[in-house]
Amino acid sequence: MTQSTLALGVEAVGCAAFDAGIKGAFGYPGTPSTEGFEAVELLIHGARDGRVAQWAANEKVAYDLALGLSYTGHRALVTMKHVGLNVAMDAFANSALTGVRGGLVLLVADDPGMHSSQNEQDSRRLAEFAWLPCLEPSTVQECYDFTFRAFELSEALQVPVMLRIVTRLAHCRAALARRATQAPTSLGLAPESTIQDWVLIPSNARRRYVDLLDKQPRLMAETTPLNRLVPGTVRRGVALAGMGRAYFGQLLHENPGLAALPRLEIAAYPVDPALEQAFLGQVDEVLVFEEDYPVLEERLGLRGTAAVRGRLDGALPRTGELSPRLLKKALDLEPPTGKAAISLELPVRAPRFCDGCGHVDAYGAVQQALANVGAPDARVFGDIGCYTLAAQEPMAAIHAVVEMGASISMAVGAALAGQTPAVAVIGDSTFGHSGLPALLTAADAGVNVTVVILDNRVVGMTGQQPSQALDQVERMVRGMGIAEDQLQVLLPVPKQHETNVAAMEAALRHPGPSVVVFRRECIQSIRRGVLKEHDREEKARQETACCGAEVRP
Amino acid sequence: MSESRIHGIVLSGVGGQGVLSLAQILLEALRRSDLHALQSEIHGMSQRGGSVHAQVCYSKVPLTSPILDEGGADLLIALEPLEALRYVSMLRMDGHLVVSEEPQMDMAGYPPLDDVYAALKAVRGAHLLDTEDLARRLNHRQAGGMALLGMASRFLPIDDDVWREVIAQRFEAKGARVTEKNLEAFEAGRGLIHDPVGA
Repeated sequence: MTQSTLALGVEAVGCAAFDAGIKGAFGYPGTPSTEGFEAVELLIHGARDGRVAQWAANEKVAYDLALGLSYTGHRALVTMKHVGLNVAMDAFANSALTGVRGGLVLLVADDPGMHSSQNEQDSRRLAEFAWLPCLEPSTVQECYDFTFRAFELSEALQVPVMLRIVTRLAHCRAALARRATQAPTSLGLAPESTIQDWVLIPSNARRRYVDLLDKQPRLMAETTPLNRLVPGTVRRGVALAGMGRAYFGQLLHENPGLAALPRLEIAAYPVDPALEQAFLGQVDEVLVFEEDYPVLEERLGLRGTAAVRGRLDGALPRTGELSPRLLKKALDLEPPTGKAAISLELPVRAPRFCDGCGHVDAYGAVQQALANVGAPDARVFGDIGCYTLAAQEPMAAIHAVVEMGASISMAVGAALAGQTPAVAVIGDSTFGHSGLPALLTAADAGVNVTVVILDNRVVGMTGQQPSQALDQVERMVRGMGIAEDQLQVLLPVPKQHETNVAAMEAALRHPGPSVVVFRRECIQSIRRGVLKEHDREEKARQETACCGAEVRP
Repeated sequence: MSESRIHGIVLSGVGGQGVLSLAQILLEALRRSDLHALQSEIHGMSQRGGSVHAQVCYSKVPLTSPILDEGGADLLIALEPLEALRYVSMLRMDGHLVVSEEPQMDMAGYPPLDDVYAALKAVRGAHLLDTEDLARRLNHRQAGGMALLGMASRFLPIDDDVWREVIAQRFEAKGARVTEKNLEAFEAGRGLIHDPVGA
């Protein structure tokens, strides 16, 4: 064991991608996927052997970057959280039809229980939707091993492969045994004979869709060896996937009697119906332990041969993540007796803004300005980031948060319905992610909307990754068609409060689209010196440019 | 420790206190003691001054579940008294609790401190530490976490040499003085538990 290193599950995927010889890694930050990209980024920067690691403006861009790299014959990893795959869905679903050249693995991290997310959608359904294989590890070592397998599968079947993990595995740290690192592999550019496969005009797309469906039996033949049926001695069985597999495995150690239960262990999709049939032949009752949606549960239930129990019949809660306790309850195992819970009422300690955070000053100015224009109760459309914390009492400064970039489009929609003032609050990175097209529409519609951009110069919440909008926000705003005199840049600090309120008021009173940028670097980013090097270089560049201008005749 | 049982440690505190950092030191020390060990943590929004907790499981047999059941933990290490109370029911009947007395009260509805201390003292196996006083005595503002780890070490199957090695490595980049101060805090905590039961 001492030969190994320690890694999070999500980091193990990044390590494996590096060791499997990827040429490039792409992604957009999002808990719990972020550290997967960061792990591979660190290795790539250390290797200096021509590989690339690049955060993208959003998940769709990241996915397309990976697909383009695959086209050139190299292996690519692309990382995102589950809701990020919604953003990349167009690319993901259509890449199933084009297929890949170099192996393409999509790491998607689901968040059952919504620790840091707005929903608990199940990415396995999206793999099924796109007719693509999905591997689902249950331990840190499997995260690593399955990633290797995913690259091999991707190249063998010439399709992208999804690797689905959940929060508990992504953020489980354990010993990891790595293999020897391969140099970046290359199959060479997609051959000329395959060009039409990549051009999804209807005539080609119809053919490629048939090709994709024809591939399904081969795809199943490749995933089936990862699934297994373990016979038992009783007619009550369990079907296990992901953390359900991990938790049951642990219970088996503690309760050897559970070995009597026949079990269907699923680690890869699609699942072979013959395997399901064989399992169902051994049981009258099945308990299904899987994270998120009742995917296996529904499949097994449809056959109607056994009583299938899980999230749909109440044996497990319909929502939220699995836990060892839930498995024990469903299996009628005695839970351990521990110390009694404390009777004192324990209020929740909610996350809050860091001391000295610029967002607090910005919200203070926005709220004061709304009060000054006689609209203290105006509904404000918020977005995704640290600044979402303002939805909590007592601040209660934003009144809707849906998905990345929604603030601007929702405010425009409300403005078109006659709401005044219509205000959106969005961060700089979220603005770059999907606020840009919304602002283009806002400018085009010419509606009375005020867009507040909270520019803290980094992707604050996920760990201060570089923002693609760094030093670009004004240019981006102008480029979307916002008039020069309707763009203001403010410094959110307490002593600028009055000035900021006045500027914000002016924006609210303007009858057309206006943008107010509150810019102050994230406190955590300053503390860690994230932009120190960048700012030094930028300053030097400006000084050079300035001196250069002086000597020019 | 048991040959087949899964042992568990819960760590709790407030974002920014170093809960995850302590958990990683523990994990490394267990691993170097030739035990199977897993650590679970939750990142994201909780980092921003909210409650943070991590779990470490260890065993002589291989592990697959990073999550402990209620009543399944042998030890609770809490960097803040209120954050300790949330997890008392995670402890086995014979489990131990090492906890800082220093409250972080910048939140709404923090219960009266006397009630918090009374509830903690009523827990069998609770060991309270005045981390504020210790930090003053050692002239080391952040001594609390390492001192609590020192106390906890008395209930864990990890050799003294392994602890010293892991702690030294953890603070290596910060220089010899920081390493020395942290080892000193660890030893101070270790000296506070005289007769560990169930170690």
